[in-house]
Amino acid sequence: MNILVRTESKDNEESIQRWFDKEVEDGENSILVYPSTQTFRQIYTKYVKDHLVSSTKQEVEEENNNNNNDNNNSSRDNNKQSKSRIILIAPFYETVDSVKHQLSALGVENVQGLIDSGSLVIADSFHSFFPDSNGMKKLIDSLSERARKEGRPGVTAIVDVGFFFLFGGDSKAADLISYESSLAPKTQDGNVKGISCYHWGNYETLTERDKELLTQGQKKKLLEVREIRDHS
Amino acid sequence: MSDNKKPLAKLLIVDDDSDMVQVLKMGLLKNGFSVEAFTNPDDALQSFKSDAESYCLVLSDIRMPSISGIQLSKKVKEVNPNVKVVLMTGFEIKDNEFSKVFPSIQVDDFVQKPIGIKELTDKILSLIGDAKNRKKGDEVE
Repeated sequence: MNILVRTESKDNEESIQRWFDKEVEDGENSILVYPSTQTFRQIYTKYVKDHLVSSTKQEVEEENNNNNNDNNNSSRDNNKQSKSRIILIAPFYETVDSVKHQLSALGVENVQGLIDSGSLVIADSFHSFFPDSNGMKKLIDSLSERARKEGRPGVTAIVDVGFFFLFGGDSKAADLISYESSLAPKTQDGNVKGISCYHWGNYETLTERDKELLTQGQKKKLLEVREIRDHS
Repeated sequence: MSDNKKPLAKLLIVDDDSDMVQVLKMGLLKNGFSVEAFTNPDDALQSFKSDAESYCLVLSDIRMPSISGIQLSKKVKEVNPNVKVVLMTGFEIKDNEFSKVFPSIQVDDFVQKPIGIKELTDKILSLIGDAKNRKKGDEVE
């Protein structure tokens, strides 16, 4: 399924988030193509705001309720249900500190608190792909395992694959396709939403055949986000 | 430096961060260099190709979409093998990690951002000086 969204309006910002929430299910690996680093920042920030900030506030409130009413089993069950997902942001074109700064600047309160609580993980994708490109999968697997142990609903892994375009050369597409092929479009009972994120400048260097292979014959969901510049 | 002095050398600066490009351009212009600066590596490469012999050094970010600094380095050296290339990064540089690919990367030096203009100027002058000295030696021979 190939969806094209243009970023010129607030409605489309919502439709991008709907794709994250409704189109991509737990256990699925999908592809996002973003037009600029600025847009990518807006996308991951909105996702963190929607999924961690509100949910963390709810957790704190329920924790307080539980403290006030220790024998209330119903409250405990609710607490488990409302635990937040783990969100992994693995940027390539900005540093971990830059992501933290952007999140704070765009309205996410207490970014360090989210990291300390284990709900938010920010990792430089270079160091998860290099020298062993399986490093990223190992990181995501460990987060998936932790989410299960902690009773969290799952993991959302927003991973920039810019690393595969760093060195260029003939092996670029082959390595990338090999990596994407190792991520199944859908895993039964999986608790990870995997989003491989491509900058347009990189994605456009791939052939149509390469793009077809990346989506595994369109079995993987693809969201292309484009910027529309107002020339009026 | 007064405006009527001959520039020390012509530099090409490439970084997808427009603020970084502006800061570097202003600082290096002030220190006597002639500077062409770009945020888009494709545009930078076109500019370089149009007058490759006039450039002494290319200063480029490493992680850029479309053409990375590593790819840009290779392309400019194909056009003008004498040009020096310095790659910049805001990320931690771990030589032991890059050493596996160093032999295939044609780069003269790396710098870690943020870097002061004076330190950068000294590094550029040192690299250009080496190149000029070698060129003089070649001419004598």
